[in-house]
Amino acid sequence: MKKTLTKTLIAVLVSGMFLPVHAQVTNPELLKRVEALSAELAQLKSQIDAGNDSSRRATEDLKEQVKKSEDKSIGKWLTIGGDYQFRLDSLKGETRTFTDVNATFGNAQDKLQADFFGNPSTVAGSSTYFGRMGMSTAGALSALMQFSQRMGGVSNYNQALAFVSNPLNGGLIQGIGGFAVTVPSYKPNNDTLYTNRFGLDLHAKATNNVSVNARLVMYKVFGAQDDSAITNAGAAPFFADRVGVFDGTLSHVPSSSYLNVDRAYATWSNIADQDLWFSVGRRPSTNGAPGNIKLNAPGPGNGGTPSLLVDYAFDGMTLGYAPDINGLTGAYGKICYGRGFESGFRSRPANSIGDTDMLGVAIIPIDTDPLRVWAQWNRGFNIFDAPKMNNTYFGNTMPKANLGDIDWWGVGAMGMIKNVGIGNLNYFVDAGLSISRPNNNVSAQFGFQGLLTGGFFSPEAPTSKRGNAISTGLRYDLPSKTKLGVEYNHGSKNWITFAPAANDMWTSKVGTRGDVVELYLIQELANPPISSFLSKTFFRLGFQYYDFEYTGSNNWVGAPVKISDVNGQFMTTTPVAKAYNAYATFEVKF
Amino acid sequence: MKTNLTSLIITAVLAVSALAVPPVASAEEVKMVGAITKIKVAADGKSATATLKDNKTSASVTLNIADDLTLDKFKDKRIVEGDEIRAKFDNASGKNSSMSFKKTAGC
Repeated sequence: MKKTLTKTLIAVLVSGMFLPVHAQVTNPELLKRVEALSAELAQLKSQIDAGNDSSRRATEDLKEQVKKSEDKSIGKWLTIGGDYQFRLDSLKGETRTFTDVNATFGNAQDKLQADFFGNPSTVAGSSTYFGRMGMSTAGALSALMQFSQRMGGVSNYNQALAFVSNPLNGGLIQGIGGFAVTVPSYKPNNDTLYTNRFGLDLHAKATNNVSVNARLVMYKVFGAQDDSAITNAGAAPFFADRVGVFDGTLSHVPSSSYLNVDRAYATWSNIADQDLWFSVGRRPSTNGAPGNIKLNAPGPGNGGTPSLLVDYAFDGMTLGYAPDINGLTGAYGKICYGRGFESGFRSRPANSIGDTDMLGVAIIPIDTDPLRVWAQWNRGFNIFDAPKMNNTYFGNTMPKANLGDIDWWGVGAMGMIKNVGIGNLNYFVDAGLSISRPNNNVSAQFGFQGLLTGGFFSPEAPTSKRGNAISTGLRYDLPSKTKLGVEYNHGSKNWITFAPAANDMWTSKVGTRGDVVELYLIQELANPPISSFLSKTFFRLGFQYYDFEYTGSNNWVGAPVKISDVNGQFMTTTPVAKAYNAYATFEVKF
Repeated sequence: MKTNLTSLIITAVLAVSALAVPPVASAEEVKMVGAITKIKVAADGKSATATLKDNKTSASVTLNIADDLTLDKFKDKRIVEGDEIRAKFDNASGKNSSMSFKKTAGC
């Protein structure tokens, strides 16, 4: 309405300008009207100006409201992502003949019980099995139980030596040999093992400089709600890191459809206005570099640990600093601490187990796409003999001895060379050294074996053992989003790592005492991302070949035995000579 | 002769003057931490501008970026709007040329 009036007035004024001059001069009435109209126009102009001010204020108010709304919106502070993986594994292996310790003890118990219940007697010599030693059926059963009890009371090398030297115990050990369950070499295989893995990632900016990250993961076998398919359930497991799922491997070894907390940590950045950070919680200490190359995942940034040394879901903390050094782009260093086992109240006389902890120092002098270099030292304190696991082949296991400490040293490099032929070439090389520092303790539940020392019922004086490993690989990325990779790693006789959470089905390949070769092909789909900038879908086909030179890969309890020398010895896990795994995945990152 | 002398004197005076006057534009290194509000990569992909909102002052600062490492991260979306950046730049000529541009450290 105002606009219409304004336009009319302007039209009148403009038309007035074209009136003959003499008419203006000679017509005072008209002059008065023009003056009146001018005044009215001025008034209207001021009204319009006032309207403009009001409109400006309204716009500013609106902007403020939008900003407030944006500040409160979930997208401003919360990022949601995740991944889905379907995986098919076809597993084959070759084992060596061994005597299954667990089955042997079970067999002895069953037979002595049957002997007793068939002829409950306290008459000396009535035992079918130990009659020659003058035992009755009741006495033999009782002796076995006492033997087990006394065995459980042994905690160090000297006691172990005394135990096996005792004639009575020696006789029983020999007698137990009569119940030996010898497992001839065989070729385990599982043609089709399907698994589902779903992960949900949350990143919340809580306050300025403080954020919280969480990752929830479900990882299960098709048609099962447990880890039986991975652990060789019903028979001796193949490897120590695949005896069962425990705190350090939860969400990384298939278990059940439960959505577990894989990661949950808070990070305080920019401390004291420096590139200094502190982070605490269930850590991103799995899938570290250079393992991300094969996984087709982004680099770990400041997080993670070298995958050759550590791949373990730790609860712990990190203090890091990324100084700005010319020529050393991305340089940073950090001190990491993690608790591998919490032993509970210490003042109880019955609790002689200490907490298992890990301390690490990482120095990354350069971290760029073309080159990333790292140097790492870790020490594991109070290494346990077995983690806490339920329903394993050995029953419910738990740490019963601290066997000593282990030092790890590592150095490596990775990077990408652009435009090699028609594609880009990713590379890595990583080397590790492990040095055991055994105390005098032995593991009674594993037949008096110590930290990389001894065999079952064959204790060995504690000595430091050194192992080393090397891992290297290439991945060639083609413009067609096809990625071709090859990896190789070798571990020496006494090599031990702390990487049970690696995604390999047989056993963590970087812990292998022998050689592993892996070939893979990744094909990403060209579908444009929707859910996030980094979302993508790809297939991965791969093949792993393990050639074990020594027993006990990924197991720090007991001394390794050359695979070619394995021929019926007492062992807790099945000695595997060779293993093959052909796998395929369909993976979606969102 | 006079001309030569005059030229010499003028040259000397100019030289002394030049030495006496401090350089107007010297490289000034500025550090800041802030979230990216806008990234614009040039059509040829050889440079980019990124606008950061300073955490301390809330002022918007636009930086010119030309290093390949950072440009690659822009191109494959490893650095995107909303990311918090610790930047170092030279604002001597008013160009705000980036010297270091990385996500704030932490995990």
